[in-house]
Amino acid sequence: MKFPGRSVGESGNGFAGAAGPASFTIHVDITNTQALPKEDTRTALAHQGPWRVVVLNDPVNLMSYVVLVFKKVFGFDETTARRKMLEVHEQGRSVVWSGLREKAEAYVFTLQQWHLTAILEPDEAH
Amino acid sequence: MKRIEVKLSLAVVAPLLDVIKEVAGGLEKHLAAPLALQDLEPDFQETWVDELLEHQKTEVATLLGLFGDEFFSDGIVAFDEDNAETIVRACAAVRLRLREKYLQGLGDDTLESGEIDLTHLEEPLRKAFMCYLFLATVQELIIQHLDETILDT
Repeated sequence: MKFPGRSVGESGNGFAGAAGPASFTIHVDITNTQALPKEDTRTALAHQGPWRVVVLNDPVNLMSYVVLVFKKVFGFDETTARRKMLEVHEQGRSVVWSGLREKAEAYVFTLQQWHLTAILEPDEAH
Repeated sequence: MKRIEVKLSLAVVAPLLDVIKEVAGGLEKHLAAPLALQDLEPDFQETWVDELLEHQKTEVATLLGLFGDEFFSDGIVAFDEDNAETIVRACAAVRLRLREKYLQGLGDDTLESGEIDLTHLEEPLRKAFMCYLFLATVQELIIQHLDETILDT
């Protein structure tokens, strides 16, 4: 599965896939290092720490389809996938994953490929 | 390779294809599920949307490809592990777009349950809702019969 990666340095290519390990290679040219502008610093700080992937309810996608997607994308077993699907259905949302921002984005991309609506939010429990 | 063949009623399904094709056309430029991430960098967001649209177009083309000569000669469509995942996703995309374009007035409860008296609906709403139900049936068939295969690939 292809995920359009962020362009970082000359050879940073983002991810190979949401379910696999992130391979986010960053090359830093020491001779060309500059201080980050304040805005970028704030953005970088905001992206640190764990993020939650939250799937939102929609009235269209079938329950069986959402279970399939959760099993396929996150490797959930049937029971976990059904529990998460019911959370989405009954509460309007379910936290399906938590972790680094870049990988969370990759999961949102993958869920979007399956036509589910997902958002990211800071995981304030950590 | 596990494969299921489904014989459909030409008289029922053929008239729905025009609606499905029309709605599918709208998916060339619009994501079926709106992008809910607001804080992506603009360049990254553009790349992301372009890539998603490419996937979506491929899925929809595979779905429409089911309804070729074989379908019009004997009403048969076939699903296997090569096309199942793509078609399940295409059905989701087209159903979301059907809601966007035709079905918003029906309310979420009706869309979730699928329970409505079709004779009370007027065209083009009736035909759009039949497409919505038909594509859900295709999804259910695939998930029921090919789920393990899909997950293994």
